[in-house]
Amino acid sequence: MVRLSWSGFRERWQLFVGAILSVAVGVALVQASLQIMAAAGDPPIPEGLDPLEEAQIRDNYDGAATLMGIAMVIAAFLAIFIVSSTFAFAVAQRRRDLALLRVLGARRRQLRRLLLCEGVLLGLCGAALGFPVGFAAVRIQRWLLTELEFLPDGFATPWAGWHTAVAAGTGLVVALLGVLAASRRAAKVRPLEALLDTGRAGRMMTLPRWIFGLLMLASSVGLFTAARSEGADTDVAVATSMGLAITGGLALSMLSPLVVPLAGRVLGLLGAVSAVGRLAEANLRDGVRRSAATAAPLIVLVALLLGLAGSLGSLAVAAGEEQQQMIDGDLIVESTGARTEKLASLDGVAVVSSQISVPMIVTITVDIGDPEELEEEVFSSGIVAVEPDAYRRTHRQEALAGSLDELSGSAIAVTTSPGYRVDLGTTVTARVLEQVSEREFSPTVVAVLPETLSGSDGILVPMDLFTPEERANWPAHAVVQLEPHADPDQVVEAIRSADLGVTRSVEEWASAQTAEQQDENVGVLVVLMGLSGLYAAMAVVNAVVISSAERKREFATARVTGLTRQQVVRSALIEAWAVTAIGVCLGGVIVAGTMTGIAGGIERTLGAAVVDVPWELAGAVAGGAFVVITVATWASVRAATRIAPIALVSARE
Amino acid sequence: MLATDHAAVELRGVTKDYGRGQARVRALDGVDVDFPTGSWTAVMGPSGSGKSTLLHCAAGLERADTGQVVLRGTEITRAPDAALTELRRADIGFVFQNFNLIGSLTAEQNVALPLRLAGVRVSKREIRATLTSVGLGDRARHRPRELSGGQQQRVAIARAMVARPPVLFADEPTGALDSSSARVVLDLLREMVTDTGQTIVMVTHDPLAASSADSVLFLSDGRIVDRAARPSAKDVADMLAGLEDGERHGREA
Repeated sequence: MVRLSWSGFRERWQLFVGAILSVAVGVALVQASLQIMAAAGDPPIPEGLDPLEEAQIRDNYDGAATLMGIAMVIAAFLAIFIVSSTFAFAVAQRRRDLALLRVLGARRRQLRRLLLCEGVLLGLCGAALGFPVGFAAVRIQRWLLTELEFLPDGFATPWAGWHTAVAAGTGLVVALLGVLAASRRAAKVRPLEALLDTGRAGRMMTLPRWIFGLLMLASSVGLFTAARSEGADTDVAVATSMGLAITGGLALSMLSPLVVPLAGRVLGLLGAVSAVGRLAEANLRDGVRRSAATAAPLIVLVALLLGLAGSLGSLAVAAGEEQQQMIDGDLIVESTGARTEKLASLDGVAVVSSQISVPMIVTITVDIGDPEELEEEVFSSGIVAVEPDAYRRTHRQEALAGSLDELSGSAIAVTTSPGYRVDLGTTVTARVLEQVSEREFSPTVVAVLPETLSGSDGILVPMDLFTPEERANWPAHAVVQLEPHADPDQVVEAIRSADLGVTRSVEEWASAQTAEQQDENVGVLVVLMGLSGLYAAMAVVNAVVISSAERKREFATARVTGLTRQQVVRSALIEAWAVTAIGVCLGGVIVAGTMTGIAGGIERTLGAAVVDVPWELAGAVAGGAFVVITVATWASVRAATRIAPIALVSARE
Repeated sequence: MLATDHAAVELRGVTKDYGRGQARVRALDGVDVDFPTGSWTAVMGPSGSGKSTLLHCAAGLERADTGQVVLRGTEITRAPDAALTELRRADIGFVFQNFNLIGSLTAEQNVALPLRLAGVRVSKREIRATLTSVGLGDRARHRPRELSGGQQQRVAIARAMVARPPVLFADEPTGALDSSSARVVLDLLREMVTDTGQTIVMVTHDPLAASSADSVLFLSDGRIVDRAARPSAKDVADMLAGLEDGERHGREA
């Protein structure tokens, strides 16, 4: 059986190239991610850092490790997806051979084993190829993470044997999981099919596909309804809509054998004027396996990438909008503690609220809903010292419990979160982390503030807890209200000439914050989704190459019927473009659902439906998909039509 | 070795329909027939007369809707898949019109395949001897695409011979061959019947092939309409032409 697997594998290596490469990339990524995670899990912390810097470095390392963990899981899942669709093709192509084996006395179990053996071979090849690629991958990921400032320059990621062992094992498991469904399908091939001239292609919509597809569709409808429901605020809407991007993409990709031909019919009504165009349209509807296999990864990619980018982007825009709504001021000055305190003395300035970032670690014991267990939440950023009175005059924000009026002395105001509850009167531990003034104290919670989208200024402490000397060099921003008749330009000029900081309008400041958040989003998306994009491209190229090779005889028949080679290529290209358009549009439907859901949540929270549709990214994805598919189709159809058609038409299998 | 009191294959009142409702077609209509042990029977008939369905049902590749198929004393109409697999391993061989060799395996690997699948250890010598007996001793390491059609069919026959199955089903074995290759294949089939007492059931369009058999069955509209013992090729051609005319008139009337 192993020999039969091996010979089948060798005979059809072109069919498996895509799958081997995707396993290899998966293995390489797992190895690289493990290497980085292992190094970041026990990172070298430079000597002589103060505790706050150390905490932030550890945070970054944790972020890098989390990101790598997610990337690893995505890589493994996508590799399974590609391997399974490759083997689905392989089984479809070989039904006759498999049926013949049954005629010759093979048991169902033996066919299953045959396919599983091929899966193992594929996994081994992928692992062998992935091992050297892993060393390149670790460089690329280290570079990316350094660019994104998760890792410091010169971060070392030593290699250990177990990284490779785990990666290779993952490769094997991925290949076996990928081949599992195909092996079951192979075992169902009836021996009679060996005798029938036209091998009946297996059904595309198998029962598990129906079940999983409809389940995902039902979840998507549920999530969309939840996102649009009255009670859904921005958090709920974003969470459900991001879920919708995943389930919706999976649903349409599972149901693609139904949906894609249907969309092809709609497209056919629009176009198909020439004979070549009509042939392409007929082929699109006829070659369901082919069109579905090409469109499915595109649907998932568009839904996931644009859905997530749109969600995160909208959240950032909404956070900016919320800041603008919340801040009641004319100018924002970014500066240091000492200099913002001088702003009040300038002509034309009515109110100044300084928010000074305190280098402090706050540990709060919170109620997570379990009476038996209390949990400690540790905060090391977003802790600001404020003058309560000035803060309240410049911020339209009501405490959920308690009051900011009481924020003086040993007091603290904290922001609530969906994950836990903080009660008034709770005593927290606060540790100031500056070498000159390191100390610890225990303020009491006097106010619980509503959660904000931006998550900034999450914890407020009274200004008078710190001496002016301490506050002097801490970074700060101040909200400035002007006198009714003051000239803003004069005030800005006065601030500039007194060197008290960088002045911006509230709107400018909020959008700068939004842009910063979005840059960070883009970085994270690049790491995670760049990977998915790579896999989607591999899956699409894989489907195109396999199906073109499969269509040699069909192309030859078209040519002996009178089409030129150019017309055959053009017809295949038109078909491929139509499939691309369908894939992108169907993915777009999911993205539209996601954005609608988010828009509703944001509108309910802020009273305005601000969303950020990632048009540029959408353009790049669609353009990239068209380029990749065009090149792959052109090259593979050229290759499939190289031989004189008559040789193929008259040849026997 | 053989249960001589049984026919190798018996069909009793076998019917088989395809399609549903308006599109329903009766492919076999109450067929009763015995294929005696150690005999070679050709099944002929116009296109759509049901001869392929007869072969499929007799070999257990399709289930008859009603009636019984008894293969070497075993009733196979309701047999589970595992039992049919065992039957294919031990009792049945197949030869097809389009050879159906596995393209990635060499001639000798193809020949050894049924035994390997059954978990039987086979010596290279035995395989070579079988290939030599079909005149392909020097082609053992060639892959199917490096062989002519006639040679490929001889490899397929060697594959069917190696396990010495008591019953061989042949589906248009000469359909894709020129006349001299066809002659070689028919001679090989004859040897299997006379030398080892195997039973052959062969569907064919070719009067010459049919005239090599011990007897010829004629099918029309899913029923056996005639049977001839050792007819000449010309007799077969005339009978077939008569049947085809009859069908045409029947349709026009």
